[in-house]
Amino acid sequence: MIELEGLIKRFGDTTVLDGIDLEIQEGEIIVVIGPSGTGKSTLLRCMNFLERPDAGRLRIGDLDLDVTRARKAEILALRRRTAFVFQNYALFANKTALENIAEGLIVVNRWPRAKAHSRAHEILERIGLAEKANAYPASLSGGQQQRIGIGRAMAAQADVILFDEPTSSLDPEWVEEVLGLMKQLARERQTMLVVTHEMGFARDVADRVIFMDGGRIVEQDVPSRLFTQPRDERTRDFLRKVLANQAASLGPEGSHSRGEPDNGQDSIKETP
Amino acid sequence: MLRTIALALALAGLGTAQAQETPLRVGMSGGYFPFTFVKQDELQGFEVDVMEAVGKTLDIEVTFVTANFSGLFGMLGSGRIDTIANQITITEARQQQYAFTEPYVYDGAQVVVRQGNESIEGVEDLRGKSVAVNLGSNYEQLLRELPYADEIDIRTYESNIEQDTALGRVDAFVMDRVSASQVIQETPLPLALAGQPFSEIRNALPFRDTEEGRELRDRVDNALETLREDGTLTSISERWFGTDITRP
Amino acid sequence: MRELDFGYMLELFPILLRYLPLTLEMAGAGMVLALVLACLLAVIRVLKLPGLNALTLLFISFFRGTPLLVQLFLFYYGLPQLLAFLTQINGVTATIMGLTLHFSAYMAESIRAAIVGVDRSQTEAALSIGMTNAQLMRRIVLPQATRIAVPTLMNYFIDMIKATSLAFTLGVTELMGATQKEAAGSFLYFEAFITVAILYWGIVELLAWAQRRLESRLGEAYRR
Repeated sequence: MIELEGLIKRFGDTTVLDGIDLEIQEGEIIVVIGPSGTGKSTLLRCMNFLERPDAGRLRIGDLDLDVTRARKAEILALRRRTAFVFQNYALFANKTALENIAEGLIVVNRWPRAKAHSRAHEILERIGLAEKANAYPASLSGGQQQRIGIGRAMAAQADVILFDEPTSSLDPEWVEEVLGLMKQLARERQTMLVVTHEMGFARDVADRVIFMDGGRIVEQDVPSRLFTQPRDERTRDFLRKVLANQAASLGPEGSHSRGEPDNGQDSIKETP
Repeated sequence: MLRTIALALALAGLGTAQAQETPLRVGMSGGYFPFTFVKQDELQGFEVDVMEAVGKTLDIEVTFVTANFSGLFGMLGSGRIDTIANQITITEARQQQYAFTEPYVYDGAQVVVRQGNESIEGVEDLRGKSVAVNLGSNYEQLLRELPYADEIDIRTYESNIEQDTALGRVDAFVMDRVSASQVIQETPLPLALAGQPFSEIRNALPFRDTEEGRELRDRVDNALETLREDGTLTSISERWFGTDITRP
Repeated sequence: MRELDFGYMLELFPILLRYLPLTLEMAGAGMVLALVLACLLAVIRVLKLPGLNALTLLFISFFRGTPLLVQLFLFYYGLPQLLAFLTQINGVTATIMGLTLHFSAYMAESIRAAIVGVDRSQTEAALSIGMTNAQLMRRIVLPQATRIAVPTLMNYFIDMIKATSLAFTLGVTELMGATQKEAAGSFLYFEAFITVAILYWGIVELLAWAQRRLESRLGEAYRR
């Protein structure tokens, strides 16, 4: 179980996270939605200590952190328990697909090379890229790169995988294969926290949807209720705009398309 | 290899205590025909012969260290060599800083021009002309002491002043008469002496002006005296120059 | 115009060749030491280590801001007047020291630029899977920075090989010193200097060839 308590993050005078409380059960799939610049990405980055929170508590399993006093070893331990999938894939350009997945196992978990590679091969099979084992990122499509990025997160066997707008940088033709892989992970009950603008994905896959605005969690609920009966005015506003944009693609089967036009700028604003 | 060199140097440094065993370290440019130059990878010339004769007389080993002329006085000052044998001219400024032996070469400063250049027939014609001298040599000073020095375009060179004069890049160069005649005689460069030497030059060996340096200077002076008396200096001079430049 | 003395050039070539090892030894040792020092300085600059960063800036400013020859004279002739034991340092060592200090200042800046030039998101990715800073540097950043830095570093190495010709001013007869002295003996300036030029050129071409091979190997991961 994962628990956040009163998490606060400021950039200069701006409070980006204004006291976030959140509980995530094992195997739960949570989607975070909200307007640009409301701290969604920052929340994920704080959970991985890519940003250092200014106040709050973080509990993952038996690891209990007061973020203001977190020591180096604790931060490393926290990172081993939280895997991260980046908007722009962030694959290691000097390493093959296989090595990208095996790298953490070898360097961080100190597995023998052979064992790490055989594990990486298994993951490549699962993500459907076994034949690309020896390909370098530069020779792969955006969709393939992001699937490797997810594979790298899977290899870490973390308690939770944090997805930071995993499809926002992708050309439309690659979005589906990445969402497909995420759904597969969801079926395997991999605990996931996903920031995305893919409302169809949220509706179909999430156990719970969180709406954030102004650095706070405004409301959270199962998708069926949150999408149809939002309680807060801001949620209604946001959904009206977004769903109008995505109306065409939100048919009964809930197929997906790219999010609203501004989604690419989201994380840029949140991470100065 | 580096270590051996360092070791050798350290040993040489330790050796100074027992002066008898220390080789006499002589600096020279190796690029000043016919005083010091290299042919077929062999250092030779008038200065080399003189210093070897000095070594034989004193029964000490002589080691030659070649460096760009502009580095030689630095090497002497920092104790890396004991003296410079490179036709070093005695000047007042140098006398204040170094302990010189008695002169062993008497000569004059000579203007040299490109063959066929008749506009310069001596030092008095250098007004408005460009004149090359070797960097660190005393010819620059000699030229600056002329009453019309302001009108001379003096250019200092690291090396190759003969070549640049032959090419016409400068109108003339100034060098000692002996080596100038030698250059003209022995090389294919189209050069000619212009007029008579304009200043007497006396060359000697400079040593550091310390107790140790002066002591070494005195020993070398004695050796030079012996070589002068027994005719060795004269014969070395005649071998290289066909004339005796070791007497006034 | 006189005729070229090819015979003299052929005679001179093997003589000059004997001085090549010393030239390469000084440049090689200078390069290795400069690389080590430059990496250190670059890391200090990138991490902005308090105190050390200011010293590093001063170091880089001085050694980039003054000519190599001035530095060589300062160390070889100047400092021994103040500190007598420095006389023990011979010309070869002094040249290597001078080359090291001088070129490390330049190289530190290009290594720093190369480190900064590695995609920042890869740094985050490495940290996110729990790598330490040292692991991140060793496994992800430095291998990629190397690829970025190789062309400029090679340029500095080539420059360094040519800069060894200053060693003759410190009494080290290397390739250039040997040529100057031979030219003084023969007065065949053109033949002497064209011979040494060909020698330098040949070495640099050999290095350029090695560089192309190295770059192609390092660039393997980046071909589409």
